[in-house]
Amino acid sequence: MANGTTSKNVWARDLFEWIDARFPLSALWKSQVAEYYAPKNFNFWYYFGSLALVVLVLQIVTGIFLTMNYKPDALLAFASVEYIMREVSWGWLIRYLHSTGASFFFICVYLHMFRALLYGSYRKPRELTWLMGVAIFLCLMAEAFFGYLLPWGQMSFWGAQVIVNLFAAIPFVGESLAIWIRGDYVVGDATLNRFFAFHVIAVPLVLLGIVVAHLMALHETGSNNPDGVEIKKHLDPRTGHPVDGIPFHPYYTVKDLFGAMVFLFVFAIIAFFLPEFGGYFLEHNNFIPADPLKTPPHIAPVWYFTPYYSVLRATTDDLKWVIAIAAVLFMVWAFLRRGGNAVRMTLLGAGAVVLVALYLLEAKVWGVILMGASVLIFAFMPWLDRSPVKSIRYKGWMYKLALAIFVISFLVLGYLGMQTPTNTLTRIAQVGTILYFAFFLLMPWYTSIDKTGTPPERVT
Amino acid sequence: MSTSSQATLPHGAAGDDEVDQGRRNLLVATCVAGGAATAAAAWPFLASMEPSERARALGAPVEADISNLEAGAMMVVEWQGKPVWVVRRTPAMLDTLKKDEAQLADPLSKRSSQPEYCQNIWRAREEKKDILVTVGICTHLGCSPTAKFAPGDPGMGSGWEGGFLCPCHGSRFDLSARVFANFPAPDNLPIPRYKYLSEQRILIGDDKA
Amino acid sequence: MRNVRRAAALAAIALAAAFAAGPARAASEGVKLDDIGTNATDLASLQSGARTFVNFCLNCHSASLMRYSALREIGLTDEQIKDNLLFTAEKIGLPMAIAMAPRDAKEWFGATPPDLSVIARSRGPSWLYTYLRSFYRDPTMITGWNNLVYPNVGMPHVLWRLQGERIAREDEAVKDGRPIMGEDGKPLMVVKLEPLTPGTQSTIEYDKTVYDLVNFLAWMGEPHQMARKRVGIWVLIGLAVLIFLSYFLKRAYWKDVH
Repeated sequence: MANGTTSKNVWARDLFEWIDARFPLSALWKSQVAEYYAPKNFNFWYYFGSLALVVLVLQIVTGIFLTMNYKPDALLAFASVEYIMREVSWGWLIRYLHSTGASFFFICVYLHMFRALLYGSYRKPRELTWLMGVAIFLCLMAEAFFGYLLPWGQMSFWGAQVIVNLFAAIPFVGESLAIWIRGDYVVGDATLNRFFAFHVIAVPLVLLGIVVAHLMALHETGSNNPDGVEIKKHLDPRTGHPVDGIPFHPYYTVKDLFGAMVFLFVFAIIAFFLPEFGGYFLEHNNFIPADPLKTPPHIAPVWYFTPYYSVLRATTDDLKWVIAIAAVLFMVWAFLRRGGNAVRMTLLGAGAVVLVALYLLEAKVWGVILMGASVLIFAFMPWLDRSPVKSIRYKGWMYKLALAIFVISFLVLGYLGMQTPTNTLTRIAQVGTILYFAFFLLMPWYTSIDKTGTPPERVT
Repeated sequence: MSTSSQATLPHGAAGDDEVDQGRRNLLVATCVAGGAATAAAAWPFLASMEPSERARALGAPVEADISNLEAGAMMVVEWQGKPVWVVRRTPAMLDTLKKDEAQLADPLSKRSSQPEYCQNIWRAREEKKDILVTVGICTHLGCSPTAKFAPGDPGMGSGWEGGFLCPCHGSRFDLSARVFANFPAPDNLPIPRYKYLSEQRILIGDDKA
Repeated sequence: MRNVRRAAALAAIALAAAFAAGPARAASEGVKLDDIGTNATDLASLQSGARTFVNFCLNCHSASLMRYSALREIGLTDEQIKDNLLFTAEKIGLPMAIAMAPRDAKEWFGATPPDLSVIARSRGPSWLYTYLRSFYRDPTMITGWNNLVYPNVGMPHVLWRLQGERIAREDEAVKDGRPIMGEDGKPLMVVKLEPLTPGTQSTIEYDKTVYDLVNFLAWMGEPHQMARKRVGIWVLIGLAVLIFLSYFLKRAYWKDVH
């Protein structure tokens, strides 16, 4: 019989062909998996995309089962979570998997993004994949923010209160906007119910859509690799496939399976033995029911938001001076650079806008602006990186140093975001903020002058 | 499925006569282990849908005090969210139980749900056969029937000895909650487990000594 | 590249070490907490703690997320629960409600005494253990009691008959027999508690009573913790098997790739 079927299984083959004539089943399988040729030199950093997908599935499944018992009502929410923990069969497991999954989602996504910074995966022709990734990251942050209100503990409540109040900082429309978001004058039952709707269905739908688009865009260009070499440049004349490529299935399906097993092992250690993880994954104060009349002495967002929170808090009047100086220097550079007048005028105009905004808007508003900028600036990577090579393996010492400083700043800002601010710590956070932005804003310059190596023709 | 044509990748696809047996064994072993792991992982999620501790606590046995229940009267007690009828039947009501046996679908309660000690024509405990304890939910589609105890009730037609009428689709039950034949409901009303804590107190839902 | 991987691993370890201390729990102004570990397998301790809890705490505090029937899990029979512990409910399946109305509680104590179902997860066992042993007589307070760990607390010393009364006295902080000097050149003062009248229990006995109570509170905060760890071991074993198999499966396929 043809192709692996015996006389017993003809019905299976017939069913398959019936479907295939009406749905691109085999076409999809081939193009996305069995004949999607990926570079053969993927390393450790390449696990985190598929692992993020694993966590996404886990969060959806555990989320569905939590929704069966959770009550999105300010009077019932906290107790309903404990009901799940104590009285629903295996409820404690479903809850811990979901809470651990939230933190591991960010771990995977941060490491996944870091891979891109290492190997230039955001570079042409993969800019759109990168932008979709930034969109996914924003959705993920929104999803985590909405979800965190749901247990209705003290940190849930006050975290939401603080972040929604950030919107109130926007001039003119801020106050009304904050009330519209909350559905009330303070974070309350109305807010809880709508955040539940966003968290359970609205954001997940958008997230899933962008994830699909992200993968489609990736498959359109093909994957990058640790050497930054385009494997499509060398095709096998007989088959038309890249000589340095291997079909995703079975090679990467089997490798990602192994990666997933190791990942789940680490995940299980946390979920079963350290679910609170010292108060970082499940915060101690969140075991106190929300009290609108009493703010806890020490509010900090969950660990994955702390770097940006640090930037927010570091933006004081002092830092505004630094921004002013940077804007002036920028305008000087714009004035002196070679190039057409139209561009010069635009750049000078941009600098002027920044200076005017510094004058008009107080530090509180600039804090919000910088916090938003610290996330959105990732989107510009494809156009900030002017290096002739993609991968850090062939970039010069400047990029390596800059990346190292960036990572350290990110971690330090993250750590500081958890501490109560003092004068010294704020200074350190300000330095960290400057270094963080410098990584991006100075990149066009240092990647241009950096002495690069020569990437190979074939992958190593 | 696709056949590989990369010279460097003879991965045992169709057209390749040599099967890598070691790899195949590993594949089978991994699939079996993976299947077991998936089933083990699915189990807690499915089990979580069982009634929770709270549902079980709320479904706990309920006490009924029949000291004020007059002869010929019925009281309703809620148990597991369902109405449970307790009827103190008069001797006249008990006499009717033999008369209509020909019209009943399951007069000996062979199909219906009741504890062993209630499988008799009174469908009650022998020591107190005048007290009927039954779950008042019609075995057709779940409506709660109405009490029609008066014999010769004009709405029930001639020959009516007393019992229950379900308003939704017209099923009838006698004074032992046994269903009449040729009506939509298939079975007699269920009898829950119960026991007497004293002469006037019944514990519905539990009969452990 | 390998160097990046090494650097990342080092960073991860350094991070983990830095975060091992964990963020501050609801800290109490620098009072040193006595660290205790809890033991959810010590059923005798949990039962003793349950008895103390029901007798002394449920008067003012609720544990409304906890059912009396859950006490079966610490080795008590329904009879024992009904006879000795079922104080604020009629049926064993009901939650441990408060004995008095929350409205009254707020009026009498200034603040509603918090529900204690998960207090051990927010405050932590060490805080609770130190707090319950740090009460002292204070005539300036309405209740007549104050607490070193939670100054001006609205809660009286419920267990005072067991511990006895103590008063607070400021004294010089001493290290190796010599007073510790503060920044201003004067000796550092520290508050010490001294016995006033004895209770029915010695210090060691009282510490054990409080330990049992805190142990019970820790168990009550997460009744399924032992099941969690038990299941966790099996999950890790199962995953270890899968790691082993999937690794060799990966190698079997990849040996063709060069």
